[in-house]
Amino acid sequence: MLDWLWVIPALPLAGFVLLVGLRGLPRPVIALIGVGSVGASAALALLAAVRYLSAAGPVVPIRQVLWTWLPLTSFHPTIGLHLDPLSLLMMVVVTFVAFWIHLYSTGYMACDGGYGRFFAYMNLFVGAMLVLVLADNLLLLYLGWEGVGLCSYLLIGFWYTDPANGRAAMKAFIVTRVGDAALAVGLLLLYWHFGTLDIQSIALQAPHVWVSGSGLAIAAAALLLGGAVGKSAQLPLQTWLPDAMAGPTPVSALIHAATMVTAGVYLIARMNAIFELALPVGQVVAVIGAVTLLLAACSALTQTDIKRILAYSTISQIGYMFLALGVGAYSAAMFHFMTHAFFKSLLFLAAGAIILGMHHEQNIFKMGGLWRRMPLTFVTFLAGALSLAALPFVTAGFYSKDLILYETLASQRGSPVLWACGLVGAVLTALYTFRLVFVVFFGPARREPQRGGSARGTAALGCGSFQAQKPEPPAPTHISWTMTLPLVVLAVFAIVAGAVELPKNVYQVTLLSDWLGVVLPAAPQREHLPSLAKVQIIAGAASLAGIVAAWLLYRRFPSAVRVLRLVRPWRQVYRLWQGGWGFDWLYRRLVVEPFVYLARANRRDFIDLFYGAIGESAKLLHAVLSWGQTGKVGWYAACLVIGAIVLITILVLT
Amino acid sequence: MMTRDLLALGPMLITAGGAVVLLLALAVCRSHAFASAWSVLVLAAALAAIPMTWPGAPASGDLLNLLAIDSWALAFWGIIFGSALVVCLLGFEYFRPLAVQAEEFYVLVLLSATGAAVLAAADHFATVFLGLELLSVSLFALAAYRRDQAISIEAGIKYLVLAGTSSALLLFGLALLYFHTASLRLSGLAGPLLAGHPDTIALYAGIALVLVAMGFKLGLAPMHVWTPDVYQGSPAPVSALVGSVSKAGAMAFMVRLAGVTLTGTPGVRNGVFYGLLVLAIASMFTGNLLALRQPNIKRLLAYSSIAHMGYCLLAVLPMAAGAALDRQAVFYYMLAHAVSILGAFGCVCAASENGREAQHVEDYRGLAWRRPVLAGVFSLMLLSLAGIPLTAGFLGKFYVLASGVRNALWLPAVCLVINSGIGLFYYLRVLGTLYQREEAESPDQFATSTAPSALLQPSPQLLLTHLTLAALVVLLIYFGLMPALASLPM
Repeated sequence: MLDWLWVIPALPLAGFVLLVGLRGLPRPVIALIGVGSVGASAALALLAAVRYLSAAGPVVPIRQVLWTWLPLTSFHPTIGLHLDPLSLLMMVVVTFVAFWIHLYSTGYMACDGGYGRFFAYMNLFVGAMLVLVLADNLLLLYLGWEGVGLCSYLLIGFWYTDPANGRAAMKAFIVTRVGDAALAVGLLLLYWHFGTLDIQSIALQAPHVWVSGSGLAIAAAALLLGGAVGKSAQLPLQTWLPDAMAGPTPVSALIHAATMVTAGVYLIARMNAIFELALPVGQVVAVIGAVTLLLAACSALTQTDIKRILAYSTISQIGYMFLALGVGAYSAAMFHFMTHAFFKSLLFLAAGAIILGMHHEQNIFKMGGLWRRMPLTFVTFLAGALSLAALPFVTAGFYSKDLILYETLASQRGSPVLWACGLVGAVLTALYTFRLVFVVFFGPARREPQRGGSARGTAALGCGSFQAQKPEPPAPTHISWTMTLPLVVLAVFAIVAGAVELPKNVYQVTLLSDWLGVVLPAAPQREHLPSLAKVQIIAGAASLAGIVAAWLLYRRFPSAVRVLRLVRPWRQVYRLWQGGWGFDWLYRRLVVEPFVYLARANRRDFIDLFYGAIGESAKLLHAVLSWGQTGKVGWYAACLVIGAIVLITILVLT
Repeated sequence: MMTRDLLALGPMLITAGGAVVLLLALAVCRSHAFASAWSVLVLAAALAAIPMTWPGAPASGDLLNLLAIDSWALAFWGIIFGSALVVCLLGFEYFRPLAVQAEEFYVLVLLSATGAAVLAAADHFATVFLGLELLSVSLFALAAYRRDQAISIEAGIKYLVLAGTSSALLLFGLALLYFHTASLRLSGLAGPLLAGHPDTIALYAGIALVLVAMGFKLGLAPMHVWTPDVYQGSPAPVSALVGSVSKAGAMAFMVRLAGVTLTGTPGVRNGVFYGLLVLAIASMFTGNLLALRQPNIKRLLAYSSIAHMGYCLLAVLPMAAGAALDRQAVFYYMLAHAVSILGAFGCVCAASENGREAQHVEDYRGLAWRRPVLAGVFSLMLLSLAGIPLTAGFLGKFYVLASGVRNALWLPAVCLVINSGIGLFYYLRVLGTLYQREEAESPDQFATSTAPSALLQPSPQLLLTHLTLAALVVLLIYFGLMPALASLPM
């Protein structure tokens, strides 16, 4: 069954190779390769899902070993794929969302000079993520993991002529690298104790090799967690994500929805066997999730850049997923991953449309009243925003977030404190989301959105022109169907995707947890379960409260915010939140500046003398040996004799 | 001789017969295209015959007195005939624009491949000498093939004199071995060695002299001094032949000899072990250090192959030390080295034009901006020689190193690692040159016809060379990703 599974990751990778290898292709061909490869991959992924789920009998994982790389006596790193409900869900969501983002990009990037380069990197990004998701062993997973990291670097710094973008790309790469180093050490630890990196055999052996709660299990889980917080932008390695907004908007959509940041969530869910043996680390995961979701939500509340608001929102939502993972509710985390992929990609793509419409204006306070001018963008953005704010019973986001909040209370590993954090986070989420909606779409128009070719010239091409002073990417001046169709499709999914898993008191649909239950353990429940309906009502009230608060603050009494910002302690809190709680400042002081200082101070250190001496002695030896290459046959023959003498001497003496 | 003997000899008979037929045909009608096509066909047929013969000859027959056609020999025949095939393909477009008669080139390539094949399967002192001489005589004619160039003739004469000297040493060594063991068969040596004759100086000197002769062919230090001159002077396809076919034959025999000495007294075993150890370490350092600042690309590749043979010996050492044999590692290393060195010289062929070889590293400056695909292929070959992952060269080096580490041969293993570092320097130096942009040229530079930019223009006449290079790239990546051949039983 599904012998062609390898085609799914191979297609985007082939697209990458084609786009890199064949330069100077016309744009329609680039779009066809770039979008077509991911589209075909998405279609095949859906087909694989249908075939896999409609197969008779119990759900069994499919393992497909393509070949063995480096067969050694004790180490057989296979290039193999593993398909079970967990990787199936990831695969389908990744390819599906990525396809719409790619389609959208054909419109968004239509006038960019680096069109082919953009699609090459995007294809590689999707291919690497699919390798990560489908890998049957941790070595291959690590390959995908690093591939994703590389692509994030390439795409965040896509407009590399601006040094700030290059810096943001390096920041993302270096900060996630800290986590990657922990992950690599974790892999070595696992290999050391299990003698294999095969995920399934580690999961099988783990309970026999390590006692629950033993030091090694905790170390391994903590190291894996280190990798996960780096990639998923959780505390304390979350600082790279807001800066990652330097890339083109479709890249942000891809990083936040389908690839990269969800890799950490997937890693923890995939390695749940290790985390189940290290419950203290599970507690840490939950606490990290809870704290991160609160901190990021506060920061989101104070940002003025539309993309940074969404970036902090992603950190916060991933925090919810970590919270769920930490309390053992793996299915709930994956459920929220799925709904989040839909509404967050939608929000970013709609934001991209707004940014294009406002001609690269990203400050929300320079927008306003856009609902009349961009009705379709408004409707779709609203759908995403409602889902993010978890409007009760209507949106997908509500069902997934409600499940996480419920599990936080119901699981033995959860606690009311964690639940309260999640609840406060829900209020804040609704607040910052609708602050965005009200400021951008309602109120007076503060600046006219661009229309048509207008005065900017080059209208015939449908492209805007470069501004002289600031290197600003040229942008299309009208929004084509390739950009609106993805918005509509994703908006529909952002609303209805929750139907795969409904609360028990609403309707008995548990498709997702049934599928995932095969591979993911359910959270151990408390004896006295809290009332489902009560929890739901509280959660629903929380998001409604947030929306109402946003309406009061930003529509009804906008002056209140202005007054509030004049109050001294509040102003300082505001600045703290706006700067992302000062983590950047802290890391600069603690890590970057001492490091730079040491490097400066040690510029001419004596250790270099040693390496310099190696180089110089190599040069010297080169000169000496070259002197032996005389070109004289007599000397050459003498060398033969010298060799004979040396060998005879050795043989006789030993 | 029985039919099955003939069948086992098949691949070698095809090349030998092919050479004779070609020689006769050329007496009647001279045609470059025919000679080239015929030799390619012959070598392809020989390659195709190898799987039919696998896994070797039956356990009896007259044949076995002279040749041991086992899976080891057959695997090396694969390398030898495959490499010769590539050399013929490269040679066609290399010689076409030249004013020399190119037809005999193919006869000589076929003969040298046959010689190397005999050497790889030799189990008798007579066949050892026969194979080695067939190989050497063809090679010095090939090295001097460009009679229009003094340097080519010089290379041929140097090779003639030195190969003659080394043959003399070999013959003397074989005689001393016969004197000690009263056996002319290589595998027959094992009995007398085991029987516990007291070791004599004649035995030690015999083994040492045979090692010297093989070391000469492999270019091991200190018998390496001839390699750069011959590589530089020979036509580029011939340099490729010296780097692949001749080395594969000699290495196959070297491993056989080391395997036989395993049965000897501790004195013999230790002696061979330490002898090979010294040769290996000396070759690694000498080759890499000499290549460090070498401005001529062909000499650089010669030095590089000295170091590579030193690396490869690391996998031969365990068997000399009496530990488990690691024939697979040696085979895979030689395979990977053949692919990479053929590819590298293929790039030299492709970059050359109008009879002038692009020998100087400076000729390649900015190649990536004029012929990006060729520069990419060259980069891949250099990366494989440097042992960078995803190329065949990496896996070859990895297996060799793994074999050394498994047998706790720490000294040569550490030397290999250090030398990989040194080696990286000059491979990257060439790689960097490929991708450097040329400085803006002043107008008077355009006027001179010998400016590097006038050379190296894309040429439609190099179709066959380009296709060959493409095939080598596929092999390089394939062997780098799927080392299925490394687990052949040997």
